[in-house]
Amino acid sequence: MGTLLKIHELTKIFPGQVALDDVDLEIQTGSTHALVGQNGSGKSTLIKVLCGFHQPTGKSSASYYPQSIKDTPSLDEAIELHLGDGKAAANAGIRFVHQDLGLVDSFSAIENISMGVGYTKRFAGSIDWKADRKRAEEGLASLGFPDIDVNVPVGLLAPSQKTAVAIARALHDWDKGASLLVLDEPTASLPGADVERLFTAVRRLQDKGVAILYVSHHLDEVFEIADTATVLRDGKRIATLPINELDHDKMIELMIGQTLVKRQQVAKDFDRSTNGLQIQGLAGGTLAGIDLHVEPGEIVGVAGIMGSGREMMVPLITGQTPSDQGSVAVDGTQIQNYSPKSALNAGMAFLSADRYSQGVIAIQSVRNNLTLSDVRRHWNSFKLDHKAEKVEADEWIEKLDVKTPTSETPIGSLSGGNQQKVLFGRSLRLEPSVLVLDEPTRGIDVGAKEEIHQLVDQASRDNAAVLVASTDTDELVRLSHRVVVMVNGQISEELTGDHMTVENIEKAQLQSQEQKMKAGAHGNA
Amino acid sequence: METPETEKSEETSNLGNATGSIWSQLGFDRFSALYVLVAFFIFFGLTEDSFLMWNGSLEFVLTDKVIVLMLALAFLVPLTTEAFDLSIGAIAALALLIVNKIALETDLPQGIGALIAMGACLAIGWINGFIVVKLRVNSFIATLGMSQVVAAIIRNIHDGGQINGELTKTYRSFGKGDIFSFNWPGTGSEIALPWYFLYGLIITVIVYYILEHTPTGRHMFATGGNPEAARLSGINTDRLTWGSLVGSAALAGVAGLIYSFKVGIYTTSFGAPLLFPAVAAVFFGASQLRGRPNVWGTVIAVYTLAFGIKGIGLRYPREISWIQPMFEGLTLLIAVAIASRQLVIKVQKRKVSKGNLDDGEDAEIESTS
Repeated sequence: MGTLLKIHELTKIFPGQVALDDVDLEIQTGSTHALVGQNGSGKSTLIKVLCGFHQPTGKSSASYYPQSIKDTPSLDEAIELHLGDGKAAANAGIRFVHQDLGLVDSFSAIENISMGVGYTKRFAGSIDWKADRKRAEEGLASLGFPDIDVNVPVGLLAPSQKTAVAIARALHDWDKGASLLVLDEPTASLPGADVERLFTAVRRLQDKGVAILYVSHHLDEVFEIADTATVLRDGKRIATLPINELDHDKMIELMIGQTLVKRQQVAKDFDRSTNGLQIQGLAGGTLAGIDLHVEPGEIVGVAGIMGSGREMMVPLITGQTPSDQGSVAVDGTQIQNYSPKSALNAGMAFLSADRYSQGVIAIQSVRNNLTLSDVRRHWNSFKLDHKAEKVEADEWIEKLDVKTPTSETPIGSLSGGNQQKVLFGRSLRLEPSVLVLDEPTRGIDVGAKEEIHQLVDQASRDNAAVLVASTDTDELVRLSHRVVVMVNGQISEELTGDHMTVENIEKAQLQSQEQKMKAGAHGNA
Repeated sequence: METPETEKSEETSNLGNATGSIWSQLGFDRFSALYVLVAFFIFFGLTEDSFLMWNGSLEFVLTDKVIVLMLALAFLVPLTTEAFDLSIGAIAALALLIVNKIALETDLPQGIGALIAMGACLAIGWINGFIVVKLRVNSFIATLGMSQVVAAIIRNIHDGGQINGELTKTYRSFGKGDIFSFNWPGTGSEIALPWYFLYGLIITVIVYYILEHTPTGRHMFATGGNPEAARLSGINTDRLTWGSLVGSAALAGVAGLIYSFKVGIYTTSFGAPLLFPAVAAVFFGASQLRGRPNVWGTVIAVYTLAFGIKGIGLRYPREISWIQPMFEGLTLLIAVAIASRQLVIKVQKRKVSKGNLDDGEDAEIESTS
């Protein structure tokens, strides 16, 4: 193995902020190099400089060793790479798959790939769709996705399949001199099972000797597929180490600069009353009818793979999606005319999984977002008391430790973790007796995640009945007094105490998958 | 491909930072229309004798544009919930027509005629709301269709030309009578403002109060900002959208009634042609003060446009027929271009001022701009 890309003293200064501070990075041929760090550590900025979106500051330099070009003898001499120039990066063979993938949802895989690569033209200048189709199919097959229908709009594909299309597009000219594939948070929007499928594709690339720069804050993934990891913190490179010299806790320590204390709920006995959240025969979508009771002060985790009913749990409980049948009661009172509004009125508060499309109003201020759940409390029977509202917002900002310049800052400009804290405030200010959370820490970095977890703890100590649905098994073990595992729309297992471990939960989920596959095989036969 | 553009916007953000202090202290970014208005007054005031005279243009613009202002507010109200109402011009024309028709062909008191006209407008607004909320038709399409339906109804009631319902003095004096009038010392010219100007002012204040100072207004902006987030916060977004479309029809009806006080006669040139200046004013106004659609920004925009056109009309009386739409069209394009450019700069600034250049999230922000 030789060096493929060398970045030297990369610095990027934004007005009033050093985003990258003398970062060195060396990537070896054929290696999968993970770039990890909390939000704000500078990993995105580094990728953006590399792809030419940002200009580096000062004496930053980089060089590459073009050795994978076919029919070209490998050069020992480094060629200088002009940082901040997209074309130069492309010429150096660096290919990018960004977090949002850059696909047009209404176009098919063929069109998406051709759009990025250039159409195959016939001699009259018309597009040779046959050739384009072949290129798309071959590219996807080589990634282990031969089953993708290249004709349907990619918006209809599974998330992992979309990622595969984006990778196929990035690597179309692999044998003509591409050298490094940059995957920027490729799993950010993937549900658990899809991550595995994506990794199959990544492993195929590794086998072919493709060097990969893998950016992620999911440490499990990093341990699973990377061989080297570089940790950034506050714009500085903290360490570059072979992955086998690191473990999960050590990595977190490097990322946040201090040791993280592992916590778990203390087992508690709950008297089975009619208080708290009571769900009876609730069904709709993938949820086939469940009974569940969450006591005041109790935190119940809901696990399950995509399609197990776990993803429908919160939308149905909160009335976001109308249920087919069943009932939900808060503190013994059944909710009538189910809607988010009646659920709220009954004393339930909730956070939906998709913070961006269902949580924040990005262009509005932190204050407006916070008080949205009940702005009427600042109505002084003549007008809204903006001053009192600001006072309340400031109190919550302090209480929840939201990092924002002022309460008037648009919430869209805060980091994901801070947005989520504001949304927690929106719920907690209602002093709910039931708190229902869907993926409460999705896309949030390690530090903010712990803060959110403490908020959930606090809510349960304040005697709220808390239900948490999450694909993050670690999180469920950390937070819950009890975890229910969803299988085929029903609760298959309930884990408490010592049985409530990541292994047991994953096993229970996987079992379900096997059952389902068996059932599917029967169904097909 | 994207590189040059993004670099450029970054440069402008730096530029914005450098000049930001002076720029924002003078409020150029938030009050640009006022500066333009002052410039019009200085330029046309110096070059055109009648521009600064009450009877020359001041009175005309102030009173005539109350109608456009009402239509602009009619467009603004549903816009806060992200609903477009393109039928307001037609609705205003319908109100004017009904008032005249009833006065001409029935013995009903003309005040009752005005109430019937308002009732018809509210009914159309209700139907607009029904189509948008219940049938889930995009508001742009729904109200565009409705404007054509209303135009057809108008033509069915009255086939071309103008109607003079010979509205009585009693009726018209309800709006046209003077609130006050006095003679300007020296020149002897009479200075007076009619009641309907006051009505317009009161309605403007009420709309401002509802949008900015009540929970309802807050909920409307929340609905426009992110309907699903608003719904999940317990806000009845359907009712607000529906209500805002009824409200816009009511305001359009008021515009028709004010015209009936002011001029009285129904003509085909009233109504639909007023839609464009109203829409232009709302978007121009959105670039003012708060950086989103707002009442006082709209008021400023209506009068800035009106005085500009008046000045140009005095200077180039023969050319005004084509200069007016050109002026309004360009203003809309420039205002919206500047507004979206400010948004780009804001997003760039945000990313920098975050104190936390977080990963992933800025991609989300970018996609919203």
